[in-house]
Amino acid sequence: MAKVLVVTSGKGGVGKTTTTAALGAALAQTGKRVAVVDFDVGLRNLDLIMGAERRVVFDLISVVQGTAKLSQALIRDKRIETLYLLPASQTRDKDALTETGVGDIIRELRGKFDWVICDSPAGIERGATLAMRFADAAIIVTNPEVSSVRDSDRIIGLLDSKTEVAEKGGRVDKHILITRYDPQRAARGEMLSIDDVLDILSTPLLGVIPESQEVLRASNIGQPVTVSDSMSAPGRAYLDAAMRLTGQDVPMTIPMERRGFFDKLFGRKAA
Amino acid sequence: MTSASAVRSRQTIRFRGVSFVAFVLAPTPPVDDWLDELDRWRTSSPDFFVHRPTILDLSRLPLPTAEITQLSNRLAERGIRIIGLDGVEAHQLDPSLPPLLKGGRPIAPPAANYVSLAQPSGGAAPAAPPPRNEPTSLLIETPIRSGQSVSFPYGDITVLGSVSSGAELVAAGSIHVYGALRGRAMAGAMGNGKARIYCTRYEAELIAIDGYYRTAEDMAPELRGKAVQCWLDDRALQITALS
Amino acid sequence: MNVFNLFRRRATASVARERLQILLAHERSAGGQPELLAVLREEILAVIAKHVSVDADGVVMRMDRGAKVSTLEIEVELPNEASKLKAAG
Repeated sequence: MAKVLVVTSGKGGVGKTTTTAALGAALAQTGKRVAVVDFDVGLRNLDLIMGAERRVVFDLISVVQGTAKLSQALIRDKRIETLYLLPASQTRDKDALTETGVGDIIRELRGKFDWVICDSPAGIERGATLAMRFADAAIIVTNPEVSSVRDSDRIIGLLDSKTEVAEKGGRVDKHILITRYDPQRAARGEMLSIDDVLDILSTPLLGVIPESQEVLRASNIGQPVTVSDSMSAPGRAYLDAAMRLTGQDVPMTIPMERRGFFDKLFGRKAA
Repeated sequence: MTSASAVRSRQTIRFRGVSFVAFVLAPTPPVDDWLDELDRWRTSSPDFFVHRPTILDLSRLPLPTAEITQLSNRLAERGIRIIGLDGVEAHQLDPSLPPLLKGGRPIAPPAANYVSLAQPSGGAAPAAPPPRNEPTSLLIETPIRSGQSVSFPYGDITVLGSVSSGAELVAAGSIHVYGALRGRAMAGAMGNGKARIYCTRYEAELIAIDGYYRTAEDMAPELRGKAVQCWLDDRALQITALS
Repeated sequence: MNVFNLFRRRATASVARERLQILLAHERSAGGQPELLAVLREEILAVIAKHVSVDADGVVMRMDRGAKVSTLEIEVELPNEASKLKAAG
């Protein structure tokens, strides 16, 4: 039974696209057929993070408008053969993305894949509401910071009212993923604690991803961090989160402070 | 007998009546102090008056016509649109001012976005008011999220869960929150000074009973985060810890 | 944590720079002709259709944009049955 998952947040820049790529790759590596879909309208990001930017031919709006079939627009990942990407359009206007068009595409994707992961844009406008519209489950990406938490709360409210599942009286399975968690700043009380965030949002925790350079390096080279550096702290945290998504009970690891050998030696962090 | 082809039927003008709920602002002298207080309210609730039709009740602030116009303009600068005046004599008004609207019936103030949390089926139409003699209470078993607004003009609201910052509860009766109250709670909204507000964690942006309100700024720091009850004692809001 | 990570770390920023240069060069020049690929496909299909009956679903296009040269790959499923081949002329 296919599952449609939306990765959303409200606030921009918190790590939705990184999360979509990392979790999509992790799930596909276990043999599942996974499609990741970029729902931004006008700005294209997921293809860059996945390293497919040079192979984009058709996009989500091409399929909605009938310029291309879904099978022609889907780009297969070069490293993981069960992972496919449907890129966002860079040159069209918001109204080109229609609810019926997207609904048809999601339905078709459900028939071909085990997981359909929708990368939502920031905000609560059309791209974001359409990304969540057909979801069975949601990952709300949150930084431990006040405006991110407030925006996540708003999004949770929308997930409970503006989705097809909610309108039919059901509930979208919601999970919080805390990203860019900095253990040093949390210890100094400079950052909201994990408990603070969960207390305010009243939603179960899927995982905690530490702030780290590995994420930046992964996006520099165009690989999901679970592929480029699966043994790094964020890599392992994302792999654990993917396992929890499939129902496995993995104990939660809260990132602790760590400094690498070379960091200590040279007293600085290379990019 | 008229020839059908020759006669053009006249346009019929249809008159309709509608009723809706308007807000009443009743300034007290001195005007500048009252406007400062209004501005303080607006800093913590900036969108409160947007889209809400407002009536200016001048019964406690007698003003000559020119100054009524001035006050109306100063309110317009703040995004508050006056659709009618009350508490003035007809001869004081001139055509440039909003019309006299006397005799409004007191009613619960309208909430910003009426949300279907009150309806079990999730339908868009508001529920019919419950039969008169039954005590009524609205129970919500999920947290109230930022941006959501619940209005229950027939009785108490009870929430099993937290009320997020940016959320709003408006009740004719009392408000009970078994969780953190971080948003706005307005009890006794139909003019019931006996209504109370209870919560297990007090972190509210604003609490009000029968129109008398207190914002987070004026919250006693020792009460923050505690279980409290709020009630009205002779037009002064009292907040004490529940132990 | 091994020694080679130090060198790899320095390299990723230059990989990113190179990817962006290629990508943005394409995006800036493609500004005037977003439909080029769709047009190409329709015209190529039309040419093929003059000789062979082809199902539109049997055409897949793949693109790889390089720094100096870009490759457009078009895969067309041609039927083997003689009946589908149109008579020449």
